[in-house]
Amino acid sequence: MHAPALAERPVVPGPTALEPESSARPARVHGEPVAVTVDNVVKAFGETAALHGVSLDIVGGELIALLGPSGSGKTTLLRVIAGLEFPTSGRILFGSEDASQRTVQQRNVGFVFQHYALFKHMTVFDNIAFGLRVRRRKTGIAEDTIRTRVMTLLDLVQLSGLDQRYPAQLSGGQRQRVALARALAIEPRILLLDEPFGALDYKVRKELRRWLRELHDETGHTTIFVTHDQEEALELADRVVVMSNGRIEQVGSADEIYDEPATPFVYQFIGDSSTLPVMIHGGKVSLEGRQLRLASARVPDGPARLFMRPHEFNFVGDETGAISGVIKNERRHGPRRRLEIAVGNGDHMIEVEVPPTADHRPGSRCSLLPKQFRVFSDAG
Amino acid sequence: MSDQTLQNAPAARFRRSTTESFAVRTTLIVLSVLFLGVFLLFPLAVVFVEASKQGMGAYLEALQEPDALSAIKLTLLVAAIAVPANLVFGVAASWAIAKFDFRGKPFLITLIDLPFSVSPVIAGLIYVILFGTQGYLGPWLQSYGIQVVFAVPGIVLATIFVTFPFVARELIPLMQEQGRQDEEAAISLGASGFQTFCKVTLPNIKWGLMYGVLLCNARAMGEFGAVSVVSGHIRGQTNTMPLHVEILYNDYQWAAAFAVASLLALLALVTLVVKTVLEWRFGAELATARRH
Repeated sequence: MHAPALAERPVVPGPTALEPESSARPARVHGEPVAVTVDNVVKAFGETAALHGVSLDIVGGELIALLGPSGSGKTTLLRVIAGLEFPTSGRILFGSEDASQRTVQQRNVGFVFQHYALFKHMTVFDNIAFGLRVRRRKTGIAEDTIRTRVMTLLDLVQLSGLDQRYPAQLSGGQRQRVALARALAIEPRILLLDEPFGALDYKVRKELRRWLRELHDETGHTTIFVTHDQEEALELADRVVVMSNGRIEQVGSADEIYDEPATPFVYQFIGDSSTLPVMIHGGKVSLEGRQLRLASARVPDGPARLFMRPHEFNFVGDETGAISGVIKNERRHGPRRRLEIAVGNGDHMIEVEVPPTADHRPGSRCSLLPKQFRVFSDAG
Repeated sequence: MSDQTLQNAPAARFRRSTTESFAVRTTLIVLSVLFLGVFLLFPLAVVFVEASKQGMGAYLEALQEPDALSAIKLTLLVAAIAVPANLVFGVAASWAIAKFDFRGKPFLITLIDLPFSVSPVIAGLIYVILFGTQGYLGPWLQSYGIQVVFAVPGIVLATIFVTFPFVARELIPLMQEQGRQDEEAAISLGASGFQTFCKVTLPNIKWGLMYGVLLCNARAMGEFGAVSVVSGHIRGQTNTMPLHVEILYNDYQWAAAFAVASLLALLALVTLVVKTVLEWRFGAELATARRH
């Protein structure tokens, strides 16, 4: 051991779900007034629980993403907020008023479905006007006003001139924009989007994503959208809520989620990562009984897992490396090249990204120094 | 170059993999057409030929005879009650099955199919046992002067029983396929349950519904077995068209029997034509419904 052990980067405490919540609920997050509060919501479908006591504050005007794999409860949470599902226990607050007992109709939320759910037998105009027309008895809104509003919205979603088309005559991207205009027509308190771009192909999805961001900046609606696409969540949202198994794993900005994952799940789910089962003793990290030149002061003694990103490695000389191994395999990975390296006794593989021109032959030994790493104790 | 090669190539080489040889194809087609001709078209033609054998005058006379007229009226009346009733039941049942989750749903679906699997004669007997003079409810109802069996109410009940599945069976797969999203979108936009049903659900199912009603109506007018048991065959009172045809036939009144039968057959043909038009015009929407 010639060089001192590389220390784990200190973790900035962020607003993660794992920290104990204070009993008094904050009325503000980062100084902004809270628009929607999810208060300890449990949702069970028969025997199986889809949400295990989820709490979340959403700021007015915020664009927030619920991100997670399928079955993580993200869509259920969105539907509970909308009132399409009722929580088994817990409350939903809009501002300071309890919305839990309110019906969907009374909540006045704009909901956009993955498969658009446009009314096939109605023109684009009638689809957008639907919400205004069904409330006409209560609001007394004039047909002229409806017409003006619909035309303004069509303009906003860049579909002017298509008002007499039927949904079947539109492309997927256009349909989703009609669905969005229809949801915006009722001037919702919040806008809820369930996998809004999930049914569209990659190019259209990227285009609509940028467009939605612009639209949000223009209209300022508090918006919650569900996605399983991390690229979409990280690129689009002010804050990302990472969910797994009906629980919130972490809430934070794209940077916080990516650079400071709060849990092993977040580290693995966001971006690529390699993991090694290690032992911690007195802040020192060892793999299969051999000490690595890595230090983790935060983690208690005992079994733990070491996480690293493929693009955060340096190849170094033997005397300064933290991990050594044998290159087993190499393959092209987009603009880069990926090496699979067997470490320890050769039972564990890690992935390392190198420039495409780099010359690393399979079979050769190498010594690596991770630029970043995280250790999570198995004790939790 | 390659285009020309393709054009000059013998067509047979590109035969679809599922297509059989000429001989097999011809045999199958001829067999089907022959079968349909002998068992379906020929008898149908005979009905019309026999009906018109005695000339147009006798034909019209047979239809204007008081008992025949009463049978036609009764048939129309029964259909006019049974079809709307089944329309309401069918929509309600398929709505419940497609849009809600509840315990015993598979049982309800099986129950809806029951009239298809039970012999119509048994359906008729059920009502005789229930409402007959020696039945469970018959004496009690009779003390209030209500006659069910051997009267119009019994015929209506038996017809409703037999024709119940048509609308529901048509709508359940259609509504299940459509899911709940349209309705959820409507209520999230502020529509009430009734508004959602009228403006969203009904337009979504209208062609399937029409198709179901059509089949239901054809069966309601043509039903023989169940109605025969409960009707009592009282001429001019409880005879529907199919029953009247049988009576005329048993009385050796061939021309009259075929005249009334031709009217029933005509109804079947009209149903068939409307059904075909619906399928042709709204094929895609009906495809899901017919997949059961």
